[in-house]
Amino acid sequence: MSTKKRARKTVKKTVSFSDDTTLTTYQNHEKKNADHDRPPVYVRKTPLMNFPYHLVMLLYYYIFLSSDFNTVKLLSLLIPAQISYLVLQFNKCTVYGNKIIKINYPLALICLGVTFLLSFPAMLLTILFGAPLMDLLWETWLLSLHFAFLAYPAVYAVFNCDFKVGLWKKYFIFIVVGGWISCIVIPLDWDRDWQNWPIPIVVGGYLGALVGYTIGAYI
Amino acid sequence: MDEKTIKKSILSSSNDEKIIYKSRIKKFQKNHKFYIILLIFIAVLQFISIAFFTRGFLLSRHVLDNISALNETSIPPRFNKAVVLVVDALRFDFVIPVNESSSNHNLNYHNNILSLYDSFANDEDASSLLLKFIADPPTTTLQRLKGLTTGSLPTFIDAGSNFDGTVIEEDNLLKQLHLVNKTVKFAGDDTWMALFHPFLSNDSFPLESLNVWDLDTVDNGVMDYFHDHLQQDKEWDVMIGHMLGIDHVGHKYGPNHFTMKEKQFQVDQFIAWILKSIDDDTLLVILGDHGMDHTGNHGGDSIDELESTLFLYSKKPNMWNFKDASNYNITNLGCDYRSVRQIDLVSSLSLLLGQPIPFNNLGWPIDEIARNDVERSQFVSSAINQLQLYKDTMQIHHSSDEILGPLAESISNIKPTSNPEEFVELGRKYQKVFLQICEELWAKFDYYSIATGIILLTISLILLISITKLIPSIVLNQMVPEFVPGIIIMVLVANLCFHGIFYVYQQPTFVDQFWGTLLATAVGIIIGCYITIFDRYNFIWIAMRLGETLADYWSRIAVMFMIVHALLFTSNSFTIWEDRIVAFLLSSFGMLTLYEFVFLPKRQSTTALLTATISEKEGTTSGVNSSTANSNYLPLTRFARLLGGYHSAVLIIFTRLASMITICREEQGEYCIPTFNNQNNSAWWVMGLCFLMIFILPACITGYYNLTSSYQAAAPIWINVFLKGILGLNFVYWSLTSLENNNATIAIPFLNDVSIFKFTLARIIAGFSLVASNVGWLMGPLCIKLNVHNTDVKSHEATILGYTNIYGSEFFLLVINVLMSILLFNKPLAQLSYFLMCNQLLSILEIIDLLKLKENIIGPIALGLLAYQHFFTTGHQATIPSVQWDIGFMLSEKITFPFTHIAIILNTFGPHILVSLSVALLTLWSQPPDVLKPQTLLGRIVSNCGILLIYNTILCLSSFIWVTHFRRHLMVWKIFCPRFIFAALSLIVTQLVVTFGTIAFASGRLIKHINDIFWK
Repeated sequence: MSTKKRARKTVKKTVSFSDDTTLTTYQNHEKKNADHDRPPVYVRKTPLMNFPYHLVMLLYYYIFLSSDFNTVKLLSLLIPAQISYLVLQFNKCTVYGNKIIKINYPLALICLGVTFLLSFPAMLLTILFGAPLMDLLWETWLLSLHFAFLAYPAVYAVFNCDFKVGLWKKYFIFIVVGGWISCIVIPLDWDRDWQNWPIPIVVGGYLGALVGYTIGAYI
Repeated sequence: MDEKTIKKSILSSSNDEKIIYKSRIKKFQKNHKFYIILLIFIAVLQFISIAFFTRGFLLSRHVLDNISALNETSIPPRFNKAVVLVVDALRFDFVIPVNESSSNHNLNYHNNILSLYDSFANDEDASSLLLKFIADPPTTTLQRLKGLTTGSLPTFIDAGSNFDGTVIEEDNLLKQLHLVNKTVKFAGDDTWMALFHPFLSNDSFPLESLNVWDLDTVDNGVMDYFHDHLQQDKEWDVMIGHMLGIDHVGHKYGPNHFTMKEKQFQVDQFIAWILKSIDDDTLLVILGDHGMDHTGNHGGDSIDELESTLFLYSKKPNMWNFKDASNYNITNLGCDYRSVRQIDLVSSLSLLLGQPIPFNNLGWPIDEIARNDVERSQFVSSAINQLQLYKDTMQIHHSSDEILGPLAESISNIKPTSNPEEFVELGRKYQKVFLQICEELWAKFDYYSIATGIILLTISLILLISITKLIPSIVLNQMVPEFVPGIIIMVLVANLCFHGIFYVYQQPTFVDQFWGTLLATAVGIIIGCYITIFDRYNFIWIAMRLGETLADYWSRIAVMFMIVHALLFTSNSFTIWEDRIVAFLLSSFGMLTLYEFVFLPKRQSTTALLTATISEKEGTTSGVNSSTANSNYLPLTRFARLLGGYHSAVLIIFTRLASMITICREEQGEYCIPTFNNQNNSAWWVMGLCFLMIFILPACITGYYNLTSSYQAAAPIWINVFLKGILGLNFVYWSLTSLENNNATIAIPFLNDVSIFKFTLARIIAGFSLVASNVGWLMGPLCIKLNVHNTDVKSHEATILGYTNIYGSEFFLLVINVLMSILLFNKPLAQLSYFLMCNQLLSILEIIDLLKLKENIIGPIALGLLAYQHFFTTGHQATIPSVQWDIGFMLSEKITFPFTHIAIILNTFGPHILVSLSVALLTLWSQPPDVLKPQTLLGRIVSNCGILLIYNTILCLSSFIWVTHFRRHLMVWKIFCPRFIFAALSLIVTQLVVTFGTIAFASGRLIKHINDIFWK
């Protein structure tokens, strides 16, 4: 008995225990398209340059300085800030096929319109996730506008690189995930003003965008 | 003839193969039995742990049978006779005038019973007294009757016995009256008969109480009885009536319904008549036992449920000593009105009727009943004596004794005659402190049992995880036969050891013989399982395997969902909003799958994603070439992605739609507008949607069947005939109910009594869907068809339509059977919710199949989320008042085992039952028959069922832990405790359905049947 056991131990098992036989072949496919180490379009890894300082300031203003969490006012501040972020920082860090392209102002303008339109699908998304269907529609739309304009630089980049959406989706995802996580504070019974719809989600979206634009280049 | 030969040539294989298949089936059948026994043992282990925890947490109060004796110091009676009228659910704002311009004013239930307040307000000679009457939770009628007659606080656990009240043995008002040979006559709610029949006169007139559909019988009975006996009959000392109409209207329609107005007018007239009819020597007491919440239900402890009415009246003047007028302020629905506690009534009535105060009483005489200081100090001294006697006899000790001791001393030092005010004040303080002590002591928990329950459940969770997920199903197949004898032997050994030890040494305090056996059995099961597991594996391997299982993306998502759901119980606000959060998680799942289909990220394939492969040589009997069969390796085709995106969209949209149906918790307050109310449930547009559902639901299911061309043979019969027919009958039933609710007069020719027609209809539907259709399923309805392309026999070219989904299509017919029976017992809006659920369920199955996640834990978790979402959207909440008791009377007028119970279980746990059954479909949907061995198939079904059980167990465990943690929380009885009961019950239901329904009955039958067809 004992010898048998010992023999069993020495055999190294490399196969995962599953009742299908095809698993082992799968490990080989792992890195086939690792031949070019950089995608054609990417954001340079320059942390200081990429960092969205304006988002920090806007958040600081929104949470600590403004007394009534005025979402409309915040939006009016966000739009110019995002445009200047795109022009001054984001576009300068974006590399299209090994070169940096100057900002295309007409396109930036068109993208403003597109971003505005993007707020409607974003609104649909918010409602599908459980935002009120009938009432508070204005607030929900404001929230969607915020989300859309937070993604504005990414929208511009998508337009500027022939709609290679796959390269830029991480920025959108970060904003959505930020909003998704921030839902957690809504049900709490603390009875604070800032728990009102849509304030926590707006803040969550900003935080998500902050993280996204900061580390987006690294992933 | 031709078809037969073709069929034969396609299906028949060589003799050798046949022998192989036969031996496989034999093996499968043997293993199947072992699997069932193993799962039963695990279920037993979980039930034992739930039992231990429940025993420790829901303690009952210790009751002494002592009886207060009449002594010479007793106060002479002020009244010789009394009439007590209990109006069930008489909320306080029903009886006070409400300003019609006020925003709180409601046309249907305000300003209808004004005779009480009129008598009180226009009272010049102090003969009537109206007070707000605060009930103690739980506000169920049985508990309230106990409280009203004994003056003590019945505990939560008694709530379970609401349906079989037994005689109250402890000292109570009626017993005291009986002891001095007073005659008590009674009419109304038969709960009184169950509780007090030795003390009531034989002339009493009890009436069936629990049929909430019947609004009038009890009330008319009580009124007739009073009309007959109140003045003519001289042979009574106390006459009690208990009217149920208002309560039943509340349960059936909610307070905001015109029936409530009619009922209240009736009560008002009756009260006015009593006020006129009693004689001078009679005390009239009119009271409500509890209130009702905004849905008309009760049982919890919201303000609306607790606030009730107390009215004392006598024709003799100057009976009551009023307080300052500001105490009786009726503005703002009387929120500042002076209130007394319900337990105070017993001592007050005892004193007024010259009886000794019952032994267990904790209440305090109502201030107003004492006409002067002398009388007051008399009352107080007898109340204090009773309380002190009770305390000494019960030997109640508590840290607050330091306050009570000096109080008692100073009370005994004061002479009531010299300093009455201080005496009364000290007495009142004493009672307050004492009551607080008692409340605290009776909320004492048995920590040994609680800990045992939690530990056993944790171990059962680990067992479930390791058996169903960590041990590969192929190994488990070999291990199962070893488990069973091991467990049985270890159970016997453990029982022997435990009882031996208990016999020799002393029994531990927290278990007696019975609980000792349970504990031993649980320990035996655990040891038996682990001996077998550790015989093959070691701990490190299992831990490594856990990491391996959770290594892929979807498993991590699933674990995150599970953890988020389990952590909801860490806070009362999250528990309150569980309905929204669950819907949010389910939409998130839909969004993630949509993302997957749209963007198709290059994820590393998961460790367990492939259904199976067919080697080049084997080929398939269906004629599908091996490359198609092996398409699992290939990335998703464009069409598959489109289809998957469509299913994800359906899932998301239907989740959102379903979440609009809600019966709000009281705590959700202004943030939630209830849509699941009786008004909507009988609205024409809901009935219209239900009518459309008759056609759309079968059409939707047909659509899903057509995806795999499985809409053949039995499927049209089942879906288009059975389901449609039952939906039609169901629609007739519920539209009749809806017409009744809208008070339309229903005239059906040759039919005078609609209720009989409805009972017949409900019984036909239930009989068909619960019995006949399942018998039909046992015959093995196949959803395949032989499609012969060519009449030429020799070419043998034929395909079997529906071949790829042969397991799933047949299994889903069983799900349809269950769905039919569940639909009957749900109200129209809930039926719409089930329609959405059916689509969501099938979409999830398709998504899981397309993403090749059949072996992943995300499948069962998504289904579990679906079950919880639809628990909430079918008009339920994790609270006791939201149980739809009225459904219990659909099959029978009275409570009859098992019809009432089946109806309520199917109504409450319908989504859980559906999901526990269809979890097997994760494996079986789109599963062609010739790929996996029957044993492997069973192993995977068990594994998926196991994940569902794990999910429910984790929720149950989390609720155990957190309800224990929050045991002193303000909201424990209102939020955490009902949630823990719900978690435990849903675990039990899931266990039973999974073990006996899914695995023992359905899967075994199905797999054997299909394999027989192809290889016999």
